[in-house]
Amino acid sequence: MNGTTTVSLVGVGGQGILLAAAVLAETAMAEGLDVKASEVKGMAQRGGSVLSTVRFGARVWSPLSRHAEVVIATERLEGQRALGLLAAGGALVCATTRIEPGSVLRREETYPDDLVAQAAGRGLRLVLVDADGLAREAGTVRASNVVLLGAASRVLPFSPESWARGLAAAIPAKIREVNERAFALGREAAPAQEV
Amino acid sequence: MERVLFLSGNEAIAHGALRAGAGFVCGYPGTPSTEIVETAATLDGLHAEWCINEKVAMETAVGASLAGVRSVVTMKHVGLNVAADPFMTLSLTGVNAGLVVVTADDPGMHSSQNEQDNRTYAKFAKVPLLEPADGQECYDFLAEAFALSEEFDTPVLLRTTTRLSHGRGRVVPRVPVEVEPRDYERDMTKYVMVPQHARQRNRLVLQRLQALRDRAEVTPLNVLEAGTVDFGIIAGGVAYTYSREAFPKAWFLKLSMSHPLPYGKVARLYQSVSRVAVVEELDPFLEEQVRALGLPVVGKEALPADGEFDQELVFNALEPYLSRRPPRRRRPVMPPAPRLSAPPAPAPGLPVRPPVLCPGCTHRSVYAVLRRRRLAALGDIGCYTLGALPPLLALDSCLCMGASVGMMAGFNAALGRKAAAAVIGDSTFFHSGVTPLIDAHYNESQGLVLVLDNRTTAMTGHQGHPGTGGRPDGSEGPAVDIETLCAGVGVRCTTVDANDYDALDAAIAGEAETPGLGVVVARAPCILMTRARPGVAVVDEERCNLCGLCLDLGCPALAPGDGAVTVTDQCTGCGLCIEVCRRGALSLAETKAEA
Repeated sequence: MNGTTTVSLVGVGGQGILLAAAVLAETAMAEGLDVKASEVKGMAQRGGSVLSTVRFGARVWSPLSRHAEVVIATERLEGQRALGLLAAGGALVCATTRIEPGSVLRREETYPDDLVAQAAGRGLRLVLVDADGLAREAGTVRASNVVLLGAASRVLPFSPESWARGLAAAIPAKIREVNERAFALGREAAPAQEV
Repeated sequence: MERVLFLSGNEAIAHGALRAGAGFVCGYPGTPSTEIVETAATLDGLHAEWCINEKVAMETAVGASLAGVRSVVTMKHVGLNVAADPFMTLSLTGVNAGLVVVTADDPGMHSSQNEQDNRTYAKFAKVPLLEPADGQECYDFLAEAFALSEEFDTPVLLRTTTRLSHGRGRVVPRVPVEVEPRDYERDMTKYVMVPQHARQRNRLVLQRLQALRDRAEVTPLNVLEAGTVDFGIIAGGVAYTYSREAFPKAWFLKLSMSHPLPYGKVARLYQSVSRVAVVEELDPFLEEQVRALGLPVVGKEALPADGEFDQELVFNALEPYLSRRPPRRRRPVMPPAPRLSAPPAPAPGLPVRPPVLCPGCTHRSVYAVLRRRRLAALGDIGCYTLGALPPLLALDSCLCMGASVGMMAGFNAALGRKAAAAVIGDSTFFHSGVTPLIDAHYNESQGLVLVLDNRTTAMTGHQGHPGTGGRPDGSEGPAVDIETLCAGVGVRCTTVDANDYDALDAAIAGEAETPGLGVVVARAPCILMTRARPGVAVVDEERCNLCGLCLDLGCPALAPGDGAVTVTDQCTGCGLCIEVCRRGALSLAETKAEA
């Protein structure tokens, strides 16, 4: 709304959503943009669905939005849950990672397998990334959040220099190198993984 | 019928509680409330306790109410500040047996450090407020309050002031109220206030407030009394008695249930008279609400906003207004009922993902024991509150920080046996679990306090606390040792490794069967700090018969496969599933650590 772009980051508590949101916010600031970010911490962190919102533009008023131009999902079910945030033409950058919630583990509910059809039906761009695999290749599976940022960098209007500054600003020095590798692998892989 | 009694307001409240079928009265002494508990202690049929402070008293009374006994908790006005944490969320959980919170305010500050008007707490917590005007009403209103409490599933705030608490008068005893005992039934969506439950309860509270306002319109507690002059007074409590004596010919809207305000009754008074005054000590609590209806009223511009009133003060303040030209009549503008937010709609057809205890969580073993031993577990606030959610379903309550221990004491006291355990984390124990432990020892309560000591304040992101010594800048201060603390209090304390299931089971079972009060500390550092991965669980598919004992642990690393349990890559090798398996179908395999 009003020239503001909204990126929603979704996943499972513990997957590094907050860190990814911090990198994204720092990157937007490196572009000279106004940024607002909001997230819910606390109880929701423990293995539950988490949502973080980053909004950027010339002047951002509200910290929240029910709509997003881009969704970055570190888990596939959570990506599917967030489809309602996107309008036709929006982009979902989603990990292939599958983490079954308790109700699925207990076979009370079934894990959906129709993400590709759902996204196509809504006219969305879908980039499905083997984030865990690429993160392991980079050096640690915990960098899968940054792999996704690398993939998302193909659909977000930021320069590589700004992304570099964003990574440097948000990620602690001792894990920066592995995350820079993860980002590069995600960015490299993305075009081929668009469904 | 018994002879007429001559009682102080406080004595009348205690007698009224007994007559209303109460069984449990507790509080912390504070002028002018003190004599309620003192009197209750002299009456056969009432169990009376002094508690260590007002917060613990509130939680103890909540525990007794939960166990099915009508309960009263008493304190002075500033005491409700101490008890505000349980009080505010008690509004959401509601009660089992009726629960009356008595606040004794002190206009004039005869014996107080401030003059706060606690009627605001009724509005703040969205609970009904009763204000007796004399000793007889103090006596009678206990039965009214318990009936409201149970009908509307809410605590009731009963407010007295110094003149009422300590003033004395005739009290005619009434026929005792017959009360059916209430059984306790576990109801997590009502008593465990995790966010997803609290959101639902909050909607009920808002609906309840509307229903209470409707009741305030029709209850005989709020009476429109006809007068013979063109002057009406809105008043409740002791201010009504001053006003009645000062203006015997005036009309009165006597508000004994003064929150929520019955707008319709206010409007009817304005149909009868053109001049209206609100007489209330301290804040313009009623006056502001009357003004919000768009009605002209005389209030704090004539009557002081501080100190006590009496009939002369009221007369001298309002008499000049009687000779003035009456204000132009206006029709009240009734406030619309507030709307509620749209209930959250989950994405259709998708599995929900509530927060869960992590794989390898060191709290899980405690819940496995509690389930096995079928112990009622009054919970507290932290990661371990997640033990209330499926499939563990191992907590009975979660009210506020530190509430578990006081609630346990009240619950067990009401039932007269060691029926419930308290489950509290290490950081929460230091926050506000120590005072109720001292209280439980002092009151010789029955109970088992389980301290889930994972050496951190985990839920908020691993902050230090006095038990660890950790400070926000990373430095280490002196750490308080829970065992030494318990020894100092005089409570027996056993510490076990939370990862040692058999030892934990033995300690909890042993303490549950031992009379008196005991603490079991289940200690093991949070898995998110240690990232311990000693191996992974592997399943012997020949032996596994999918009995579900391990799946009931609610571990995200275990799933029912075809014919046998499967272990996902989230397994940390904590070994708890191996311990609970009765067929030896699970074992630990070494694994190379992941980068």
